[in-house]
Amino acid sequence: MKRPAPSADRPSIHDIRPVPARNVGQWLGGAVLLAMGLLFLQILVTNGNMKWPVVADYLFDAKILAGLGMTLLLTVLAMVLGLAIGMVLAIMRLSSGRVFQWISWVWIWFFRGVPPLVQMIFWYNLALLLPEISIGIPFGPKLVSWNTNDLITPFTAAIMGLAFTESAYAAEMIRAGIQAVNPGQTEAAATLGMTRAQVLRRIVLPQALRIVIPPIGNDTISMLKFTSLVSVLALPDLLYSAQMIYARTYQTIPLLIVATLWYLLLTTVLTICEHMIEHRLKAAPGQKTRFWDLRFFPRHRSTHQSAEVQP
Amino acid sequence: MTPLLQVEKLRKAFGTHEVLRGIDLQVNRGEVICIVGPSGSGKSTLLRCLNHLEKPTGGAVFLMGEPVGLRWKGRSLHEMTFNELARQRQRMGMVFQGFHLFPHKTALENVVEAPIIVKGVPRAQAEAEAMTLLDKVGMRDRAHYYPAQLSGGQQQRTAIARSLAMKPDLMLFDEPTSALDPELVGEVLATMRHLADEGMTMVVVTHEMGFARDVADHLVFMDGGVIVEEGKPSEVLINPRHDRTRAFLSRVISET
Ligand SMILES: Nc1ncnc2c1ncn2[C@@H]1O[C@H](COP(=O)(O)OP(=O)(O)OP(=O)(O)O)[C@@H](O)[C@H]1O
Ligand SMILES: [Mg+2]
Repeated sequence: MKRPAPSADRPSIHDIRPVPARNVGQWLGGAVLLAMGLLFLQILVTNGNMKWPVVADYLFDAKILAGLGMTLLLTVLAMVLGLAIGMVLAIMRLSSGRVFQWISWVWIWFFRGVPPLVQMIFWYNLALLLPEISIGIPFGPKLVSWNTNDLITPFTAAIMGLAFTESAYAAEMIRAGIQAVNPGQTEAAATLGMTRAQVLRRIVLPQALRIVIPPIGNDTISMLKFTSLVSVLALPDLLYSAQMIYARTYQTIPLLIVATLWYLLLTTVLTICEHMIEHRLKAAPGQKTRFWDLRFFPRHRSTHQSAEVQP
Repeated sequence: MTPLLQVEKLRKAFGTHEVLRGIDLQVNRGEVICIVGPSGSGKSTLLRCLNHLEKPTGGAVFLMGEPVGLRWKGRSLHEMTFNELARQRQRMGMVFQGFHLFPHKTALENVVEAPIIVKGVPRAQAEAEAMTLLDKVGMRDRAHYYPAQLSGGQQQRTAIARSLAMKPDLMLFDEPTSALDPELVGEVLATMRHLADEGMTMVVVTHEMGFARDVADHLVFMDGGVIVEEGKPSEVLINPRHDRTRAFLSRVISET
């Protein structure tokens, strides 16, 4: 084949890198959005009503930090309890027992349908419905009983509302995860002589959880924000602690900003954890991964652009 | 002497579709039985009925004289639960076409899993025994690899070691080489030959006629859910008595 000879005013195509194609629309749009963002930031920083010095004063206030601890405690407890109940529900839903299937279905239907806020208020007022809670023989004598109002504190009501709601969502996720595991895994384990519980615990659940971990991470971030509902029960979480302070000092906006900053920090930390775990799960088993392999903003290159031009 | 495995009038239907229509088969200790037949003839179903991965709809399977998956209580016959079956299943190892190694465990962990949690073998002893088995199937140097890091042939050899770790009385193979690239078939067949030479009792569903001819003590040809013809491989392969066997063999042999 005959190549065109390099002309005098132009270097050879083999000696030069092509200028990457530019997307003018992306540049223009990006510039406009950037300008708007800067404007918004300027309002935030320079607006006197934001009172940044007040924000700084309260950011590490003892009450705020205690509220932060409460928010974290609620998130962790509600997630742990919710996942544990959800796991049981998922297994019941997939069992061959009709009663198990039905109870699980009704629970999921109910707690997915009732808003957590309504539930919390309801649980808190449970004493109006059942003044006394007892353990005993059904329809027979009672062995122990408690006064419902002693048992149901704002804290337990909050945990119940949050955990039960989470359990319904977790159950559906875990069920989908279990069903996504190749049935051949169960058969292989069965032919090795494992019992049902062993197959589930050692073979199926570890694989199902791997599938379910990313949505659980997502749920944890949602839960962190849902905990702010507990302020209706006067439970001093992050938001309610801020509310108590501004009720006294009238520094409403600065204290809301304090709470916002903490929520953002926590969700950022959780997001990073989630990315790390997801990244690790995506890697082939046995392959070591490092934190700095993480790409939060991966570049999407089309193939013809990424083809290297050899010098 | 009671045979190791006895199959009597075994039937299996999926809905109205009769897949097995009365199978009688006997497997003595130390024997290698190969089952061949066209696709859809019910070979996998037969194998899966032996260890009750499928519940037969009629007839029975006896392992050392005991009915598999069923127990007598006085004069009435009861189905076993999954957990009661586990005891019988661990005496029949099974190797699948699709390997089904546990992907979250290394080759070694795959092999030691069942001895440790089912039989309660101490971990150190289980690992030592597993390494011997992995050595036998030529996987010693890959013991710490995950299934995703192994070739198909390596995965299948690990799966064989995993089954052997339970010290079964009998090994069932369902087309163990059908999912493999042609150049990997040989290594798995060699492992199985080696196992047969050691006296392992084996029931092998296969399309590998060479293996059937050389290794099987008894060859079974199935079609349409029944055993059409059986006997010594030399006789069945060279002098088939039935037209259906002849047609199948000429088709298979012309392919290879
Ligand atoms: N779980 C099932 N439900 C319904 N039908 C089934 C099921 N398993 C197998 N069959 C049917 O039973 C018949 C025999 O299947 P089987 O897998 O035993 O054949 P095979 O001899 O192993 O064939 P191949 O050589 O293709 O593996 C087929 O017609 C198949 O469609
Ligand atoms: Mg088959």
